[in-house]
Amino acid sequence: MTGSEVAAVGVVTGWGRSAVALPPDAVRAAAGRRVIAVEPPRAAGERFRRATRECQLGVAAVEALLREASLGPEAIRGDETALVYVTAAAYGSSNRAFIRAIASSTLHFPYTAPSAVPAEVAIEFGLTGPYVILIGGAAATIDGLWQATLLLRRGQCRRALVLAVETFAECEDLWARGRWLVRPPLVESAACALVVPGPWRATYAPAPAPSPLEALARARAGETLACAPLIALALARAAGDAGPVTLTGEWRGRRAGLAWEAH
Amino acid sequence: MVRLRTEPVAIVAAGVVTPLGDVDAFWSGLVTGTDAISRIERFPVDDLRVGLGGEIKKLKRERRGGCRASQLLFAAADDLLARAHLDASPPRVGVVLGTALGGVEEGEKAVAGDPSARRTAAALYDGPAHALARRLGCRGPALTVSTACASGATSLGVAADLLRADAADLVVAGGYDILCRFVMRGFDALRSLTRDRVRPFDRRRSGLLLGEGAALVLMARDRDARRRIGRLLGHASAGDGTHVAAPDPEGRGLASAIRIALAEAEVGPEDVDFVSAHGTATPLNDRIETAVLKRVLGARAGLIPMNSIKGALGHTMGAAATLEAIMCLLASREGVVPHTVGLEERDPECDLDYVTTAPRAARPRVSLSTSLGFGGCNAALVLEGDAR
Repeated sequence: MTGSEVAAVGVVTGWGRSAVALPPDAVRAAAGRRVIAVEPPRAAGERFRRATRECQLGVAAVEALLREASLGPEAIRGDETALVYVTAAAYGSSNRAFIRAIASSTLHFPYTAPSAVPAEVAIEFGLTGPYVILIGGAAATIDGLWQATLLLRRGQCRRALVLAVETFAECEDLWARGRWLVRPPLVESAACALVVPGPWRATYAPAPAPSPLEALARARAGETLACAPLIALALARAAGDAGPVTLTGEWRGRRAGLAWEAH
Repeated sequence: MVRLRTEPVAIVAAGVVTPLGDVDAFWSGLVTGTDAISRIERFPVDDLRVGLGGEIKKLKRERRGGCRASQLLFAAADDLLARAHLDASPPRVGVVLGTALGGVEEGEKAVAGDPSARRTAAALYDGPAHALARRLGCRGPALTVSTACASGATSLGVAADLLRADAADLVVAGGYDILCRFVMRGFDALRSLTRDRVRPFDRRRSGLLLGEGAALVLMARDRDARRRIGRLLGHASAGDGTHVAAPDPEGRGLASAIRIALAEAEVGPEDVDFVSAHGTATPLNDRIETAVLKRVLGARAGLIPMNSIKGALGHTMGAAATLEAIMCLLASREGVVPHTVGLEERDPECDLDYVTTAPRAARPRVSLSTSLGFGGCNAALVLEGDAR
């Protein structure tokens, strides 16, 4: 089988711990708040003592995915699971803390790298398969989903996790300066999709306009940058649509599209 | 799992900016064993344990505006475009860049109080890739990969995927990173920087030094390329899943990446003529990398010439793997393998054929290039040179 499909999506946002928790209208629900923050459940154990909030959110999104798919962690452990991680800016808070010397020790520098989030996720769940990290907003997540389908098609993995994390609270003032890039409310989010072999052919191409799902995710979740396409997938599944789906995502003037269609 | 062979992708031309200079100076510096490490002058380092690095002292042509990372990319693009043209429709030309630090220096300025909105946007790690795409007029996919110090390898793999999927006709791919306070403070705090010189695989090795640079290659589908300096035959990445900052003690992720890349390229250990090692000169990296190469390549490992160019340039982070890929292709073209600058005393635990003392006459056809990075990121490239 050379096709693929999305088997499950886990979502954690400032609105709640599933796609169902998203309000009908994010702008109205924000009531003027620029950032809707999320406090991830504190992962247990000494190992997480130094992990940043974005690392905790990444772990929480994978846990949400496993709950959604009714799978245990052993189902994804090992070298047959690929991990594709995408973020536009979930390194901003750790970079800022390091720059301001709030956290300038040996222990904190490695956490300034975007690769810290997938590293903590890989350690927590024992993921040792193919590994890609892309930086960018929603268009990069479309690129990441496409990478997942390629890794499956090439036989480099049996399943792929596409994980996105975005945090805003610690850099709210900086985001206010870059307002042509983002439209409030900025909603902190983490989302993870499980992509597996399936019946649908994935077609990757530039998209001239937003898909209905892109518009829906924007309206209900607000600005979630790289998480948006995964939230769109979760919304489609929550509406009972687990079949062919067309996703689009825009970032810095580029809109990418991925359509899962019948062969 | 049944693995599908992937179509080789042509590497049409290369352009770089390094502490040694452009592609020609980079190559001549490597074969003459030039040590490009110097005292860092662009920002204060007096409060750091180590103030040395592979710093680019002067760019041939400074542009107005743009952060330093973008300036390095523009300089590498000038070098690339002196050797090849972007002869495809702009929406069909992509840009895929790897970086460990992106525009972090702009972030330092923004946090320090510079209120410029442009500064804030440039601080995002994908800012420099978009700046390069705009500069070159490329309107195809613009992607940024950040698998730490393996980024410059992963970016070539992602670029090849775009070409194979017909999502672009040409891709400018590669990696970059700059020396700045942020990264120097970080590695200084980690005590990873040596006060000695960089000595990959040497018994006395005591750490790395950082360098800066940008390395770009122009990639095309092999069937479309009218000329090339080589081909990317295979690429793979794999995670360690063991530690945020240290490599897996057994090097399992690296071993997996090498095995998959060789399989994708449909070559075996017997076909590999040269290995460009990551070779950072940290005690741990070089020992683990040696053990992995012996395990994966078997008896052949001891017969294959290997090197690390980090003794000459320092560790250029996001640029490193692309620079090393370019070095592999130039070695094939020129019939010379550069030696490992800084390696003088053999380590019993690092007992492979690292080319030492002087460059070696050899014309590798198939080369393997390995990379490791923070977060347990590992990558391997299999390249084929186009001998003259």
